[in-house]
Amino acid sequence: MASKSPPPPPPPLPPSFASSSRSELPVDLSGNKANEVSPTVRDVSMVIDSLKKQVAAERIVSVKKRMEENRHKLVGVTNNLGRLSMERMAGSETDAHRSLDLLTKRQKDATDMHNGIHASNDDGESNSYPEDSHGSTAVLLGSNVAVKNAVRPIKLPEIKRLPPYTTWIFLDRNQRMTEDQSVVGRRRIYYDQNGGEALICSDSEEEIIDDEEEKREFVESEDYILRMTVRELGLSDTVLDSLAQCFSRNTSEIKARYETLSKEDNAAEGSKNGDTKDISQSENSFLEKDLEAALDSFDNLFCRRCLVFDCRLHGCSQDLVFPAEKQPLWNAPDTENAPCGPNCFRSVLKSGRFSKATSSAQADVEEKCSGGSSSRKKSSAKRRTKCSQSESASSNAKNISESSDSENGPGKDAFSASQAAPPKTKPVGRGGVGKRNSKRVAERVLVCMQKRQKKTAVSDSDSIVEGDHSSNDMVTEPPVLSSEDNARKEEFVEENICKQESTDNKSWRALEKGLLEKGMEIFGRNSCLIARNLLNGLKTCWEVFQYINWDEGKMSGSAGDGANSLVEGYSKGNNEVRRRSRFLRRRGRVRRLKYTWKSAAYHSIRKRITERKDQPCRQYNPCGCQSACGKQCPCLQNGTCCEKYCGCPKSCKNRFRGCHCAKSQCRSRQCPCFAADRECDPDVCRNCWVSCGDGSLGIPSQRGDNYECRNMKLLLKQQQRVLLGRSDVSGWGAFLKNSVGKHEYLGEYTGELISHREADKRGKIYDRENSSFLFNLNDQFVLDAYRKGDKLKFANHAPDPNCYAKVIMVAGDHRVGIFAKERIMAGEELFYDYRYEPDRAPAWARKPEASGSKKEDGAPSSGRAKKLA
Amino acid sequence: MAKVFGLGSEPVVGLLTPTKKRDYRVTNRLQEGKRPLYAVVFNFIDSRYLSVFATVGGNRITVYQCLEGGVIAVLQSYVDEDKDESFYTVSWASNVDGAPFLVAGGINGVIRVIDTGSERIYKSFVGHGDSINEIRTQALKSSLVISASKDESVRLWNVHTGICILIFAGAGGHRNEVLSVDFHPSDIYKIASCGMDNTVKIWSMKEFWSYVEKSFTWTDLPSKFPTKYVQFPIFNASVHSNYVDCNRWLGDFILSKSVDNEIVLWEPKVKEQTPGEGVVDILQKYPVPECDIWFIKFSCDFHYNQAAIGNREGKIFVWELQSSPPVLIARLVHPQSKSPIRQTAVSFDGSIILSCCEDGTIWRWDDVTNVPPA
Repeated sequence: MASKSPPPPPPPLPPSFASSSRSELPVDLSGNKANEVSPTVRDVSMVIDSLKKQVAAERIVSVKKRMEENRHKLVGVTNNLGRLSMERMAGSETDAHRSLDLLTKRQKDATDMHNGIHASNDDGESNSYPEDSHGSTAVLLGSNVAVKNAVRPIKLPEIKRLPPYTTWIFLDRNQRMTEDQSVVGRRRIYYDQNGGEALICSDSEEEIIDDEEEKREFVESEDYILRMTVRELGLSDTVLDSLAQCFSRNTSEIKARYETLSKEDNAAEGSKNGDTKDISQSENSFLEKDLEAALDSFDNLFCRRCLVFDCRLHGCSQDLVFPAEKQPLWNAPDTENAPCGPNCFRSVLKSGRFSKATSSAQADVEEKCSGGSSSRKKSSAKRRTKCSQSESASSNAKNISESSDSENGPGKDAFSASQAAPPKTKPVGRGGVGKRNSKRVAERVLVCMQKRQKKTAVSDSDSIVEGDHSSNDMVTEPPVLSSEDNARKEEFVEENICKQESTDNKSWRALEKGLLEKGMEIFGRNSCLIARNLLNGLKTCWEVFQYINWDEGKMSGSAGDGANSLVEGYSKGNNEVRRRSRFLRRRGRVRRLKYTWKSAAYHSIRKRITERKDQPCRQYNPCGCQSACGKQCPCLQNGTCCEKYCGCPKSCKNRFRGCHCAKSQCRSRQCPCFAADRECDPDVCRNCWVSCGDGSLGIPSQRGDNYECRNMKLLLKQQQRVLLGRSDVSGWGAFLKNSVGKHEYLGEYTGELISHREADKRGKIYDRENSSFLFNLNDQFVLDAYRKGDKLKFANHAPDPNCYAKVIMVAGDHRVGIFAKERIMAGEELFYDYRYEPDRAPAWARKPEASGSKKEDGAPSSGRAKKLA
Repeated sequence: MAKVFGLGSEPVVGLLTPTKKRDYRVTNRLQEGKRPLYAVVFNFIDSRYLSVFATVGGNRITVYQCLEGGVIAVLQSYVDEDKDESFYTVSWASNVDGAPFLVAGGINGVIRVIDTGSERIYKSFVGHGDSINEIRTQALKSSLVISASKDESVRLWNVHTGICILIFAGAGGHRNEVLSVDFHPSDIYKIASCGMDNTVKIWSMKEFWSYVEKSFTWTDLPSKFPTKYVQFPIFNASVHSNYVDCNRWLGDFILSKSVDNEIVLWEPKVKEQTPGEGVVDILQKYPVPECDIWFIKFSCDFHYNQAAIGNREGKIFVWELQSSPPVLIARLVHPQSKSPIRQTAVSFDGSIILSCCEDGTIWRWDDVTNVPPA
């Protein structure tokens, strides 16, 4: 119904588009055809044209203005620079020894001579007529006054140039290529130095142009024209078509843009009404923020394999893998009976005349808790005269809703404590009641929160105050005190009810609850350890203890409650799976695999060893199987072993089991790890170990023998010092600093991990330059050390080399190690066979002398194992 | 591939009709040698030498002076003993005590620092992995120079102590030869570089400034200086779709050119929060016909009032830079000037324009607007 309202007159030229872009739009998009006669194409184009002219004029004015501003600024800048150059002159003139400045002297000589010539040769014409005097002026100084001014060239002693290289960044471990480094789908121009021509390398022109088309966003002026045109002429197909033509876009694009624009306008209009809603919403979202949400960035950024944030090798947003097997609970036996601090539940309980405190017998503790708290209440009764009022108020509230009291009253009476007895013995019938009540509580808390937030900011900081008060106060005290400070007398009773109700739910924020859960997962019901390690500064041991017990009591009753669902069943084993599957669902990946014994792990491993001679190794990705892996296991399907990063239990048949080598030091093919081109892993192998240091620190080695594992050198970065220098053969070369024996590990060939597709694209240009640093890693990745790598990338090719390269699986990742093929003396240059495919090898790779570039195609380590054995 | 401009963001394009605001005449022509001359530059660093200029070509660096009446005097000449050296670029700099330095580089990748006050080589910087395409001097601190190289890096050097302070390369660096680089005229931390990867990048050395300061007091071996890599630019602009072979700051705007017969003036709008991203607003265009080969550089006078650029056919276009729309001050044509002009030099006040050509000639043009023809 755009044109039902008479179109407003076109506004005068706006000072800028920004001001006009907020102008209202005729809102209704539907049924635009139904209204009056739609404007003709000519009308539309006239309007659009005038608007376009207006916009273009605006643009010219704005450019002019900006140019003027810039010019203004630049005047100051260049004047300052001019001053500096004058200062340089002044500074050097006062300097005594600068008087010998030869450039100044020559300049003066030349000027003098020039003037002299002028004086002697009155015929100044010769210089004024450039066409005639080209030669004469040029030779003027050289020939006419030859003796004085013959310019003898000064020789610059030759400096040997470096062998060419592209600037590169050192990598101590491989990195996966970031998206912006890709050359796929990008237009590149390669300049052929020899041919003197530029070659364009791109997949296809259209592809690229399409990309750019998509990126085009609506600019302010287009929005403006769109708004104004529609306002004037209403919305019709003619208008849209003309606009589309004018912007050279699709009609649908224009329409979509118009819709978003009018939405924006509506939003701006309705913002006043929306204000209050927004606040309440943000409040809710604050309440809802729990541990999972807080951990979201952790889950996305933390690499569980490398234990670093923002892992460059495995990347962010990896699939989360949760181990099927739980870690055993952490035990701290020596602190069994000692209080962990002044707020330890033990000391609190002791003060309540209950001497033997153990958390093992739950019902027992429950009673003690209640008794202890009540006794403590007595002891501190004087100090809490004010509080007693609120206590009494809350006891009134008890009558109103009894179960809410039982939930949040920190063991106020034995009655509630007995209700909160071990869940197993709890009658099921209570569940419904509890549910209802807790729901109510949750509602009230919400209302209460909102109320308070409006009234006073102090309540916001309740929980913070609480944390600071690390005295013997119980959970309830500080908020009550602070609320009384605010002297809100009118609603005194009611406030306190709310407070009492909310105490436990509110003061335990969702995040804290989440942390508690995690703590119980790690430490069991050990409140000392939980408070110290996870809730330090937030909650005291006593508070944790109370909460655990209270929670325990409530748990079975409040199963369906949204606010408490997080806590549910965390300490109970049978709930574990349910919880996890929920987590997985959130991530959009549920894998329920049937348990099967049909896997043939060892067989497949052996097969891989033999097969690998022809085909490259396969990239490992951890599986998330929750039971021993069956046919559907991605690892099994992919032909890789399960590793320690997989979710499957250790009993999984597809797991690589490591070695049991005792005295062989894992240096031969007798070691299963070695035979499978893997490094030993102390997490997996049974006997592999290394001593700590060289003994100089006085730490005795763990065992008396010398049988430490020698197959962990890449993992431990026990590499040789490699030097970079001018190669004896060609270009750069890598040299060894110290002598090493046969099969010694020298270092890693690091680089960017790129896909084979990417490598093909990059390789085209590398091959043209006859300098490639590509290295086949496995079926998915190629290492490119062109811009990122280490010094070993400069080791040259030789058909009869002194080193060899080998792809080794280290903690789930394939890495390239360079090893000594023979004994190498200090200072020797390192060579290895690039192993080019016969038909692809460049000329130099076939000759005895190698040249300065390298490429590895095919399986790099195939067949080498044989030589080792 | 023509770039599509949204409505209201079209650049203002200058008209190719010469206004004859200034009238230039050829006053001299020199044949320096057979080898192409790639660079010519006036000394703006030290006001004693405003009429002194230097050229490079082949293995030769030559210092000249412009005298009255179109006369050019040869002051000094330097020859690299390595005959294969081919210098591509030269820049005036100075020692901390004010000694006039010439800094040149070329195909060998070795930067030559010459003390023209004592006519001796002062230092040679070895470090670049390939040829050097441009060297520029920081006018605010004239012993700092920056070099752009084929090895895909830009390096900041202290010519006084001979230290390579920073290397601008790595994860966010150029992906092909760097052809041109320039210091921001007032913001001492900022540089702009461009090259064969078709991008223009703006870098900031603010976080690394302590290293720059340290380089002045460094007494140990230069090789032991903790040279830092600056891996990420603060702005990455795709203004051109082909090699970008020259860029210069014009205040906070950037002038850059590709092989599309024009110089483009644009404003980089850097977003402080998200480094590396930003918007380019193309403000003006200065058409230069027959300028479609790469490695043709333009130059400005001291106050950036005008820019001169040669083309493939030996013609020079002099644009008034800061007027909107741009004004073509003059078009310099001479029947004998046919060789591609690689670089021009505009004198301090714009009264002299020099050009150096592929055929090894130097041309001098003088402003004769107010000089009555004799």
